[in-house]
Amino acid sequence: MLRRLFRGIHLPLVFSVLALAMIGLLFIYSASYRDAGQYEVKQLFWIAVGLAVLVGVPWIGYRPFLSISYLFYIVTIILLAFVDFLGSKHLGAQRWLDLGPLSIQPSEFAKLGTMLAVVNFLGSHHPWEGQTRTVATALFLLAVPFMLIVKQPDLGTALLFIPMSIVMLYLWGVRKRFLFTVFGSLALAVPLAWEFLKGYQKKRLLVFLNPNLDPLGSGYTALQAKIAVGSGGLWGKGYLAGTQTQLHFVPEHHTDFIFCVIGEEWGFLGSLLVLCLYGALFHAIFLIMQHTTDVKAKLLCGGVLALLFSHVMINIGMTFGLMPIAGLPLPLVSYGGSSFIMTCMALGLVLSVYRERSIF
Amino acid sequence: MTFSRFHFFQGAIFVMLGILGLGLFGTQVVRGHYYRELSQRNHIRLIPLEAPRGRVLDQKGRLLATNRASYNVIAIPEDVTPEVYPRLAKLLNMDQKEIRRRMSGGREYPFAPAVIRKDISQELAFLIEERQPELPGVSIRTEGVRSYPYGETAAHVIGYIGALTEKEYDQLDRDRFGMNSMIGRAGIEKSFDDQLRGWRGGEQIEVNARAELVRVLSERKPEPGRDVRLTVDLEFQKRIMEMIQGVHASVAVMDLQTQGLLAMASSPSYDPNIFVSPSSSEQRLAVLKNEGFPMLDRSVSAAYPPGSVFKLVTAIAALERGKITPQTRFVCNGSFRLGPKSKMAHCWYREGHGSINLYEALERSCNVYFFNVAKRLSPEDIAYYAHELGLGEPLKVEVARIAPGLIPDEAWKQQRFHQPWYQGETLNMAIGQGYVLVTPLEILRLTAIIANNGRVVQPHLVIQDPEDPLDGPRVAIREENLDVIKKAMLQVVESNYGTGQLARVDFEKLAGKTGTAQAPPQKSHSWMTGFFPYKNPKLAFVVFVEHGGSGGVTSARLVKKMLEIWKELNVTPVV
Repeated sequence: MLRRLFRGIHLPLVFSVLALAMIGLLFIYSASYRDAGQYEVKQLFWIAVGLAVLVGVPWIGYRPFLSISYLFYIVTIILLAFVDFLGSKHLGAQRWLDLGPLSIQPSEFAKLGTMLAVVNFLGSHHPWEGQTRTVATALFLLAVPFMLIVKQPDLGTALLFIPMSIVMLYLWGVRKRFLFTVFGSLALAVPLAWEFLKGYQKKRLLVFLNPNLDPLGSGYTALQAKIAVGSGGLWGKGYLAGTQTQLHFVPEHHTDFIFCVIGEEWGFLGSLLVLCLYGALFHAIFLIMQHTTDVKAKLLCGGVLALLFSHVMINIGMTFGLMPIAGLPLPLVSYGGSSFIMTCMALGLVLSVYRERSIF
Repeated sequence: MTFSRFHFFQGAIFVMLGILGLGLFGTQVVRGHYYRELSQRNHIRLIPLEAPRGRVLDQKGRLLATNRASYNVIAIPEDVTPEVYPRLAKLLNMDQKEIRRRMSGGREYPFAPAVIRKDISQELAFLIEERQPELPGVSIRTEGVRSYPYGETAAHVIGYIGALTEKEYDQLDRDRFGMNSMIGRAGIEKSFDDQLRGWRGGEQIEVNARAELVRVLSERKPEPGRDVRLTVDLEFQKRIMEMIQGVHASVAVMDLQTQGLLAMASSPSYDPNIFVSPSSSEQRLAVLKNEGFPMLDRSVSAAYPPGSVFKLVTAIAALERGKITPQTRFVCNGSFRLGPKSKMAHCWYREGHGSINLYEALERSCNVYFFNVAKRLSPEDIAYYAHELGLGEPLKVEVARIAPGLIPDEAWKQQRFHQPWYQGETLNMAIGQGYVLVTPLEILRLTAIIANNGRVVQPHLVIQDPEDPLDGPRVAIREENLDVIKKAMLQVVESNYGTGQLARVDFEKLAGKTGTAQAPPQKSHSWMTGFFPYKNPKLAFVVFVEHGGSGGVTSARLVKKMLEIWKELNVTPVV
């Protein structure tokens, strides 16, 4: 029985997930053990739930998920619209939906819900027949949640839709000309979109280009994050011995800025370890992609990969000034239930692709 | 999906991961040494720079509120060594404990400077600067501090500023408010806080191990706030304040052309400077506990019974409803009885005014005439025209804490006292007694509406773009009826029977209405309102003296004085 349950488990992938979660747990503790809140205990609970999801989803298989994807999509859209009107204000943006003791972040669900719907839609249409119509519909499916999330405003999450869409369309087989036209015109629309951005979002983008613009706010965070990561050097200052993060120079250091703590306390070697674990995770997904013949499965894996990779790229990049300061978690490592469980669910779908792989 | 697309995707992902790794290598290994140094005792300091607050000017550009330089002692607690405390305590003549308490007080971020002492003398500031080597972490910062050069003169108009509370700080924009920022608490300072307040700046500086400045890493200059220019004429305001020194009174004068207030004085007053300087807490307490309530702006924040001034409203209501004509006569024999069993109500003139028409009734302020008028009116009729003329309606004048007056009617009484309305109360209402309450500025607006032939008037304090005075909304009152009222108001002052003849001036014709509102057990409140000159009026005004006695005496004399001051300041004598 157990062997049957674990037959479909791709061990390298599960190993990377476990390792990253453990590193996360260690540094959530390091970042917050001086504060009340017991985040590491809560995170332990989320990890347990997440792992159950990771093992449970392949047991169901990814096809049922795809077949209810449109329903799931509609539910997430309703939830998103709900947040816009009823959500609680948290740090000046409406992102959370309070459900009694639980507060959920529908934009987390929206990423996965939209991805499943687009995968299902693209996978059901052949790229050589009526491509224009197919692509237009897919872009519409993507644009609705995108606009709703922008409106919240959660620019960081919204921007993740762009690499995800590009990758899915690209792997599906969209004509390159198409890709260039659509995203080229999107780039041209940026000055227009600028007008719709909230003051603090404009500031973040401007400060990203030149942190000296705002030495008081984001510029200060950017600089302190950089000092934290940089001061770790090759070997790091030692676990629990970071000064930058322990002294609260870096805000939200158990969630979005967790990598600062890792970089400072474990140095470049620690950072490299984290990068390699992500590398292993991505590699595992690539292997699984290679061994399936189902177009939908391939698109699904590609979407999950693009989504996780964008999170990693932006989150780690922002700690040393490669990327703007965006409120995105580091998948599997940052504190937070919504993010951890959604990541596990996405990876569970990938695992189920592996479980139903074609043997050749 | 083609083979090449998959591999291109795979390649791109690993190349970008490689870039990430290279970037980390550059930050952590290549430049690691530099950042390690910066992180030790954290050598980056963030010094916030407060924006200078905008000034408040009068219509001629004289400064009503400005900033003077002050020296503040600040310290970055992380840089302060233990031996600094006794030295600093001795220099500042403060308790060491107090200094420690201020250092550990709420700060915005680590290594933020804490304010130890504000506004010290220049000599002391120089002394501390000189001894800086012995006082690591301590420094002197020059900052603007609010100053009101004319003290009490326009205190209620300008208002004052005060420190933020912790709760406010949490809710406000960090780019504009720091933990030690001040915020407008009253008057123009409060209602124009957003304009007067600039945008904070700051510098990131790198310091060495002894907390000395090495270099400025980046800087954002604070953006100063914008000035506010008032319609008030400082000299006029000052002379009026001198005139009402010692009495509890309010005088407001409006320019009918611009609808701007030339003066809005309330006495007794207070010196807003005491709210700025931390050392004057005793004076603050004295002001707050004073039984004359100097903090109260009697022009807009307190409502009083209007007395006979309200007869203007009753007269307009009766004319508009067609219950009387200007020539309708009633006989006044000194007293009035509503029904055979009712209590006797008296006219202020016990001998009686005889048979008089509306002009004479207003001119002599006959109560019995208006009792007779009130018999023909419902309280709703009177209340309708009172609201039409702005009584009990919100004012748009730019000071905080405006308390609207009260215009009662049957519904209000039912709700407030659960009792029906009695007709006797309509009589009381008609002569501005009973439940009716108004603020002096509401009365000023009422007079200005009459003087402007029924165009809606909004008195204000800050210079605005001039609007076409002939354009804009009108009240629902016929101009011919307003002409009747204006003519009667002229007689109040210019007729030898008029109650306001003491206000008569020799250079132009004045129109007005007096009021003496009973306020037992103390002396009556004294009112006079009017517009000037009668033809092509330039000014509208209201004078109110709390428990000042007869309106025709106390207030009328003040009106005369006020007009003479105005003439002296505005009409250049022909040589």
